[in-house]
Amino acid sequence: MPPLLQLANVTKSFGAVRALKGVSFDLQGGEIHALLGENGAGKSTLIKVVTGAHQPDGGTITVAGQLVPHLSPASAHKLGIACIYQQPALFPDLTVAENIGLRLEPATATRTVNWPGRRDRAAKLLKRIGADIDPDTEVRNLSMPEQQLVEIACALGAEARIVIMDEPTASLTQKEQHLLFAVVRGLRDNGVGVIYISHRLEEIFALADRVTVLRDGESVGTSKTDDMTETSLIRLMVGREVSQIYPPAAGAPGEVALSLKNVSCGASGIKNVTLEVRAGEVVGLAGLVGAGRTELARVLFGLTPADAGEIALQGRAVVIASPAEAIAKGMAYVPEDRRRHGIILEMPIAANVTMAIQRRIFPGAWLRPKAERQLTLEYIRDLAVKTYGPEAPGGSLSGGNQQKVSLARWLATKPKVLILDEPTQGVDVGAKSEIHKLIRRLAREGMAVLMISSDLPEILGMSDRIAVMRGGTITAMLPGKSDAHEVMSAALGQAEKGVAAC
Amino acid sequence: MADSTGKFWKSILLRHETILLIVLVLEWLYFNSVGPRFGSLGNTFDIVRHSVEIGLLALVMTPVILTGGIDLSVGSLLGLCAILFGKFWRDAGMPLPVAGVCTLGIGALAGGLNAALITRLRLPPLIVTLGTYSLFRGLAEAITSGVDTFTNFPASFLFLGQDRWLGIPAQAPIFIIVAVAVWLLVHGTTFGRSFRAIGFAPEGARYAGIPVNRRIALAYVLAGAVAALAAIIYTARLGQAKADAGTGYELFAITAVVLGGTSIFGGIGSVHGTLLGVAAIAVLNNGLVHARQPREVAGMLTGGLLLLALSSSAVPRLFSRLRSRKPAKATQTVSPTPAS
Repeated sequence: MPPLLQLANVTKSFGAVRALKGVSFDLQGGEIHALLGENGAGKSTLIKVVTGAHQPDGGTITVAGQLVPHLSPASAHKLGIACIYQQPALFPDLTVAENIGLRLEPATATRTVNWPGRRDRAAKLLKRIGADIDPDTEVRNLSMPEQQLVEIACALGAEARIVIMDEPTASLTQKEQHLLFAVVRGLRDNGVGVIYISHRLEEIFALADRVTVLRDGESVGTSKTDDMTETSLIRLMVGREVSQIYPPAAGAPGEVALSLKNVSCGASGIKNVTLEVRAGEVVGLAGLVGAGRTELARVLFGLTPADAGEIALQGRAVVIASPAEAIAKGMAYVPEDRRRHGIILEMPIAANVTMAIQRRIFPGAWLRPKAERQLTLEYIRDLAVKTYGPEAPGGSLSGGNQQKVSLARWLATKPKVLILDEPTQGVDVGAKSEIHKLIRRLAREGMAVLMISSDLPEILGMSDRIAVMRGGTITAMLPGKSDAHEVMSAALGQAEKGVAAC
Repeated sequence: MADSTGKFWKSILLRHETILLIVLVLEWLYFNSVGPRFGSLGNTFDIVRHSVEIGLLALVMTPVILTGGIDLSVGSLLGLCAILFGKFWRDAGMPLPVAGVCTLGIGALAGGLNAALITRLRLPPLIVTLGTYSLFRGLAEAITSGVDTFTNFPASFLFLGQDRWLGIPAQAPIFIIVAVAVWLLVHGTTFGRSFRAIGFAPEGARYAGIPVNRRIALAYVLAGAVAALAAIIYTARLGQAKADAGTGYELFAITAVVLGGTSIFGGIGSVHGTLLGVAAIAVLNNGLVHARQPREVAGMLTGGLLLLALSSSAVPRLFSRLRSRKPAKATQTVSPTPAS
């Protein structure tokens, strides 16, 4: 029997970024096949290719032995491919039966609705997966796992043969997980092929028959779950040489520039964070997506102020209630989402660069276009921003150059503590190494740098020390010379076993 | 080089303000040809007198809209301030200058109320000012029981609204001072730049350390204070203060601002554009009288003018978008092949 789904050498690029560099993957009927990989390894892109949301640049997709030359969302649906996302995409104000009906019912000629039939079908589908949900309940009254069950019912009703589940347990309790597992096993026993994506290794061992590991857009291995151990999986996920050359570390770090003692913020889920960053030091902040790294940066920068604990700058206790206060005290934060937070796309580069130093460069609030232009030109030259001039709008720049402008804005504040959030995400290789060199230079000049990154080689290559976050708090402090395995283990919450295995 | 100068002239010509200026000149020429008295100095001063209050409201509406907000309450506030001004003078026995200063304070305070509701409670400006729109007018009516009017102001005060000073309408210098001040605020200071930043990306502005709430508050307080100033000039022009003063002015002001090229979504816009917008509407309304057209068509033509001006600046943009779309597609089909 041919496999239910087979991908051969699938490639996909976004501009200069090669998200998939030739992924091969197969899924049998009646199998749960786990897909594992770091942030940015290409899992989401792969799913989008399978659901028809992205067109691959190369490679072939075969469904049940039949070559599919052009997969669109509609044809994927027809072929029986369904995807259940982490956040169920249901209409909260409609009932369960209405939601299922919207997905499954073809429009009748008169555009009328067979209400009893709709309710019947919903009830039957929910019963088949053993869900105790009233079809007449509005979806907003359902819990997250119940909503996921409704999604699964939709997939079942669509006669889906291939069901993709993207981190379905991320927001579930232990008990709800077991319920979900039972449903997933039920699907498998009915001959459905399930692609199961999760960061939690224990789930993969509990559920999956086979596992494929993606790394840097390539499939690095597929094997039976029984043949793998947690350690061997982690090694597969991170087991690469640090391919880029990173600038050498600075000398001995200076005084403590930033110190946190039991800092918490209820609103953003930050709990008891204790951390020190010294002048001239780059501390990497590692962790999985959702571990609370960006949230911690937002707390430090006064965007969501801390509600407990102590923050000290240069040894002096401070309260930071707003970004303006943070800037006045010598902090700078280069945010992750540069298009929304890092720069203002519609405004000229010059206005973006001077936005955080308005008070200093424009005494009495009067704009001084000449001085502004001069300063901007200096930064354009210093950071090698590719543009036609300071008056070019931020939106006209490429991602890497936008990031440089965002950096320039904060360097212009002459900060003592610089927080970088994914400084090279979506940046091409050339600009990436320029940014790395810049970070090193800043540290050498005495800046304390806290660098959030999901790019493990970057964390390893750039950091003097590495703080690993998980569940809103720092769970491990590792030296900069750590290996990828240790960092990944700590981020996944496998610290003891992981270190023991080394 | 020739290409870039060509582009320069094209960008000037396609600017909204330029189109509006041309419309204004055409209006003027047309009415001047049909109405013999239209172009006289006396009539020009009449136009100025009649448009100063709406002009003031439009000037301070510009920063509000630049932040991505709106203030529907300024017309009602004008009414409230007018009768409070009368009350301070007639019933509380204040000298007129003191009553004026108190009125300005009340206006600023009312703007502060809008600002507080918008920034502290994070309510949408449209809803907040829709509420204060009713509230201020309702207060004015309650205070006067709907019938009380304030009249018999001294001639020295009426001078401000009805007479000439150095040969021009006496309220014109005040308007010019406010216009210059607002122009400098919006185009020459970090405040103006902050308004735009907030209008484009409120979160982005916050991340850059701009005190977003304080800047928004400034725009609404300024709108309130200048609405009070407009109330005083209005009272002086008509010689009386009634609770229905300034009814509907907020919409004229918003129309003038949008006609002047300010984006209702915030960020984009200019004070000189607003001034042209005010002038275009004022000339139209006055000119129709001279062209012996019924007053009723004024609203229709103002609406038509607004839609015409907006679409005329949208059409070139539409064309350039269509033009830029084609080559983009062509490059797309070429590039993916060498990817693997």
